[in-house]
Amino acid sequence: MTSTATTAAAAPTRRRPRVRAIEGQEIALIGVVGLLWVVLSLVTDTFLTTGNLQNILFTVAPIALIGIGMTAVIVTAGIDVSVGSQAAVVMVIVALLVRDSGLPFLPAVAVAVVVGLVLGAVNGLLVAYGGIHPIIVTFGTLNIYRFVSLQIFGTEQVAGVPPTLAPIGGGAEGKLLGVPTAWWLTLVLAAGMWCYMRFWATGRHLYAVGGDAFAARLAGVRVRRRQISAYVLTGACVGLAACILIGSGGLVQQNVGTGLELRVIAAVVIGGTSIIGGRGTVLGTVLGALLVGTVSSAVTLLSWPSELAQLFIGLFILVAVGVDLLRERRRSAR
Amino acid sequence: MTEIETVPAAERARGEGIAARVLRIALTERVVLLAVLLVVVVVWFRVLGAGGYLVAPYDVRYLGNALESMVPFALLAVAELFVIVSGRGGIDLSVGAIVSLAGMAFGFMVGVWEWPLLPSIVGCIVVGALLGAVNGALVAYVRFPALIATLATYYAYSSLALISNGNAPISTPPVVALHSLTRNVNFPEPLPPVPLHVFTILLPCALLAWVVVSRSTYGRSLYAVGTNDVAAAYATQSVARTRFTAFVMSGLLSGVVAVVTVGQFASARPDAGIVGNGMALPAITVAVLGGVAIQGGIGRVGGVLVAALLVTWLNAGMLLAFPEGAEGSRYQLLALGLVLVLSALLNTVALRRYGRLS
Repeated sequence: MTSTATTAAAAPTRRRPRVRAIEGQEIALIGVVGLLWVVLSLVTDTFLTTGNLQNILFTVAPIALIGIGMTAVIVTAGIDVSVGSQAAVVMVIVALLVRDSGLPFLPAVAVAVVVGLVLGAVNGLLVAYGGIHPIIVTFGTLNIYRFVSLQIFGTEQVAGVPPTLAPIGGGAEGKLLGVPTAWWLTLVLAAGMWCYMRFWATGRHLYAVGGDAFAARLAGVRVRRRQISAYVLTGACVGLAACILIGSGGLVQQNVGTGLELRVIAAVVIGGTSIIGGRGTVLGTVLGALLVGTVSSAVTLLSWPSELAQLFIGLFILVAVGVDLLRERRRSAR
Repeated sequence: MTEIETVPAAERARGEGIAARVLRIALTERVVLLAVLLVVVVVWFRVLGAGGYLVAPYDVRYLGNALESMVPFALLAVAELFVIVSGRGGIDLSVGAIVSLAGMAFGFMVGVWEWPLLPSIVGCIVVGALLGAVNGALVAYVRFPALIATLATYYAYSSLALISNGNAPISTPPVVALHSLTRNVNFPEPLPPVPLHVFTILLPCALLAWVVVSRSTYGRSLYAVGTNDVAAAYATQSVARTRFTAFVMSGLLSGVVAVVTVGQFASARPDAGIVGNGMALPAITVAVLGGVAIQGGIGRVGGVLVAALLVTWLNAGMLLAFPEGAEGSRYQLLALGLVLVLSALLNTVALRRYGRLS
């Protein structure tokens, strides 16, 4: 009894740990990306051109966008490897509707988000109520969603998609103040999610669920609801990202989205989100996606074999997580 | 739930009816369930065949031929068994990339440097084991989460495999001649011809894996570490070394698969294990279907092998039932996904209901 009383009395006098606006990992990432940009603009004369920078931002946007949802999922100690197949389902549905029924821009985006929500909800329900490990659930739905998308595709790819979604595509229409609108969209959503996860009660609960689901439940957190919300959010993000990927139209092939999940997870992990759950920010994810995009672009510009980009992504994952492990170990040793 | 747990197991067994006992055995003895499913699948496709719904007979000869595609997935699923059983979120996403990279190394040894066959095979397996050792060192000693470490090495290995020969396969005459490793062996009727590597590679490897997992001190240590690594450490088990060895075994088996795939394709392809969704996903699926619990500490070689056989013959049947274009392989995706989720649900139900899983 006495011991609880003393700690309770001591608590108000103890200085509250200052909430940092930015984590160490994020500062390091900004430094690395900045350094890469400086070096690349000195070494190549094509890197620091408007066209190239616009191109990098546009290709990074879908990965960063899905990364917003994926950060929430991984913070709750989950994972979603089905995002590539989800994107395929959304893309084929939207592409067919836009081409054959002449769906206008806003309804098309709405359909994409709704389809994404449904696919995410299936994952969320299975994880929360099925008692199955998230990686198993989403490996399963990865296959099932791929089947669904191929079934909708029928025998051939969708060709001749009109440029209905060009306002968020990669063409000239999809620019606002010289920056791709897809990137503005990503930034706005990332900022919103950053605030949600930092200041909202239910946003903080995501961290609680990932830190210790059992303790969180005892503390009154609706664990299952938070888990489902993370997967549903990921689905919605995939829906938007699919619209960006369709962009100015043209061809939607049957293998769209394969391997997307690994790129998104790489961006999230490089951004400092702990795969064990309970730690990570959306800002880090966006920076991680930028780093991945910059490296891929650099490899192309330096005319190295394009497969080398994957090697660098692998190394960046190891370095990012390794540094984090070292910091964690030092923190716990103290 | 708690009331049941206080009743001793033996007493519970005596009190239950036949239906309850059948249900319990089906849910907890994964091999039994899989064997039943296997019979159901074979009979089902035989009936479909008799009714004229299949484009070719689903007969013994066809099933024997289908074993060819079973070998890589059965071996990789056993590889995943080692890693997943070792616990702490153990998983190996890099097996497909190891197959690619070790396969390219094998291609160079046989096709470019023209080493004799046996040293090349040993060399290929050693390369696989070394790549697995990198994973193992990262996970067991540096303590990376397995998912992250093997995601990173998946990227690194597949990149190296693609770069090693400028994104081109090696198919010089000595490599093409390797196809004889995977030729069919003929038996007197009514036995069907069976691919040679089922006998020379799959069965010996499966037997060895079974001995290591179920009949060696290392195997006991593996299950102890996977079930509870703190308790295992107090019981004087070397936790890090056990996990490290599990990843080495996974890499080694991937090296063996590399030999098989080079033989099957008659060519060392840099994208052999990573094309499409890669080889890791089906391997993990088969392992989970075979009763390996993703939490670690649970899983048997026998279950994994029967699961591999089930998936192989199910896939083979679907190719005959949906002959149009890619429709058969499309339904294989659906079946793989459904089977994975349902078998995991089954694991959960069995664990909740009986508190154990064999």
